[in-house]
Amino acid sequence: MSDFTLSRRRLFAGAGALGASAVLGGCATATPSGGSAQQGGAVTLQSDLSSPLAEKAMQALVAAYGKQSKYTVKLNTVAATTYQPLLPTYLTSANPPDIYTWYAGSDADHYAARGLLLNVSDVWKTMGGYQPALKTLSTDTAGKQIFVPTDYYWWGVFYRKSQFAKWGLSEPKTWSDFLHVCKAIKAKGVIPIGLGAGTGTAWVASAWFDYFDIRLNGADFHRALLAGQHSFTDPRVVSVFNTWKQVLPYFDPNGTAVSWQEASNQLLQGQVGMLLTGTFFADAVPKGSLGDLDFFKFPVIDPSVPDAEEAPTDGLFASSRTHNAAAVLDFMTWMATPAAQNLWTQTSSGTVIPANPQAASPQTPLVEKGKAMLAAADQLTQFFNRDSTDALQNTANTALINFIQKPAQLSSILSTWQTQAEQVWKTT
Amino acid sequence: MEDHVTVASPPALPSTGAATVHPVAARARRPRRTRAERLSPLIIAFILVPLLVESLTVFWPAIQGFYISLTNWNGVNPPTFAGLANYTKMVSDPVFRKALGDTAIWLGIFGGLSAAGGLGCALFLQRERRGIAVYRIALFLPVVFSLTATALMWQTLYQPNGMVNGLLSAAGLGSLQHAWLANSSTALYAQILPALWREIGYIMVLYLAGLKGIDPTLYEAARVDGASAWQQFRNVTLPQLRSVNAVVLSVIIIDSLRSFDVVWALTQGGPYNSSQLLSTYMYQTAFVNTNYGYGCALAVAIFVLAFGVIVTYLIRAFKESD
Repeated sequence: MSDFTLSRRRLFAGAGALGASAVLGGCATATPSGGSAQQGGAVTLQSDLSSPLAEKAMQALVAAYGKQSKYTVKLNTVAATTYQPLLPTYLTSANPPDIYTWYAGSDADHYAARGLLLNVSDVWKTMGGYQPALKTLSTDTAGKQIFVPTDYYWWGVFYRKSQFAKWGLSEPKTWSDFLHVCKAIKAKGVIPIGLGAGTGTAWVASAWFDYFDIRLNGADFHRALLAGQHSFTDPRVVSVFNTWKQVLPYFDPNGTAVSWQEASNQLLQGQVGMLLTGTFFADAVPKGSLGDLDFFKFPVIDPSVPDAEEAPTDGLFASSRTHNAAAVLDFMTWMATPAAQNLWTQTSSGTVIPANPQAASPQTPLVEKGKAMLAAADQLTQFFNRDSTDALQNTANTALINFIQKPAQLSSILSTWQTQAEQVWKTT
Repeated sequence: MEDHVTVASPPALPSTGAATVHPVAARARRPRRTRAERLSPLIIAFILVPLLVESLTVFWPAIQGFYISLTNWNGVNPPTFAGLANYTKMVSDPVFRKALGDTAIWLGIFGGLSAAGGLGCALFLQRERRGIAVYRIALFLPVVFSLTATALMWQTLYQPNGMVNGLLSAAGLGSLQHAWLANSSTALYAQILPALWREIGYIMVLYLAGLKGIDPTLYEAARVDGASAWQQFRNVTLPQLRSVNAVVLSVIIIDSLRSFDVVWALTQGGPYNSSQLLSTYMYQTAFVNTNYGYGCALAVAIFVLAFGVIVTYLIRAFKESD
């Protein structure tokens, strides 16, 4: 027995020596520099659109591109939950995938600042008809374009037309109208506002924060706040929550327990009167119920604040280390054309608006209304995480769910939020 | 008595081929040959190859992880050396302290109940009766299922209008209804139940194996001496299970500290960190917030905790048995 332990000890000593002799700081954190000179070959399109419908749409797109081009694009679909944490690894690897589906805004800019993204200004030369707001959104701090938008969607307060008609209500425009509508729905014994910030979808609560902030303090303040230029304990942020407190009694008391999928079911079944949501929720709505759905723009609280709306934009960016920049730019140019974007909107859910104004957006009253609302807006924001980082989104989830459940603890919630956010700003 | 205590001790080392083929002849010709020289290349290969694989796939990444814990690294920028900053940060991090406390609660309740429950079920189901296998299988079945998948079922049960609240109101206990997973005071405890549901079956199997290894003559002797059922349990069963206990304890501590799947699937540590465990906090920090430096430091802390507790116990257990 003692011989056995002795030899084991020797083994451990050997293993220790092995570790010690190795140079620490080797492969795991190494950031390779410079791409290889290799040219040509298929380019890889890394996609996080992993739902069956969206994946099929992407396959169709790639196939359609292959038919009319000398270049080949290989689609590589990765589950959305895995994609996000792996994206930095993809971009910093020595031989990265070429093109990525992702969203515009702060996150793309963050990678661009580190020289990881390909300059796609040449693609933008072919995109003259695009809205200036989309171009601004696709431009990094250094002034070059690094992103090609394919589509965007909008957020609004959705409701069922038949329900509102039954209750004798019309769309509220102002804050006091909105409070009146909430009161009226509650009087009918129905929960006025659904939330759906339960497990896994706590982030939907930040739509309320975003809207209160851009309605009360404006989009510029909102972006600066998310970038760490203001504190979450700022009196202007406190006023966001004080306004929120006025409608909190009308929220679904189980709003932080049910997921947004369930919240949208509650809306369809008439258990809640209204739901602030992005149009993506319509994907799961049965075709028959879609006609009864309508939305109104988040009510104006302070008319002196320039109008802003949330319009999360999706699209593509590419790695600066690609081996075949010509093919990458060719594909992205093609993706910006009306033909490609028509294909996209036809095969996907039908509530997104193609980024190219010449592409045919789905001809439904809902999309027309959404498009008009965004076109009338003075500024467009993305969404909490898109205007900041996923790490900051986490701190928001903690703070906002805490506030919704225990609004009396507001001041301690805000100071904790600020402390957590400072940690995030320090590391990114 | 001694041979019964070591039920689960490692088997004796098989004697080496070279040493056993012609032991007498070898000893006669070269009496002063050292032990190392007698090892055949095959034996060395048997040790070195797994060591190499282990080094590449376990030790090397572990050392890398430790190195990353000494840096500030967000996965995009080149890492900067931070010394022990990530470790000192833990001391003042309220979420870390919350996660540490929750992990301690988890270890106590989940560990204690799964050991007690596993032993109880094993004692109850150890005797061979008709149909007993059905019960054993029923208890063991949750171990086979993926906990992430079954967590979805538990999530449905815990919904505000789910079965748990339904049963409570049917039993006239409507006042006890909760949004179990969304309430900060119940979320942690509500998640221990699914974890226990799985762990008890596993611990039961370990104890069943241990109980099978106890010499029946010990019970006979105890009965002859007039020992009651409790005395037999206290003075025969428990001491005989000592080596199984070491295994169970290690399993429980490791499983508690790596309990992740249930919590990540049900609440992701929320609402507002009220069910945050060290494991979920580590995952969130490293892979959601992409703060790899601090995430690795948390992983090192978890490793030290698990390793420290287990090694302390094993050293004590082996000292006692020597």
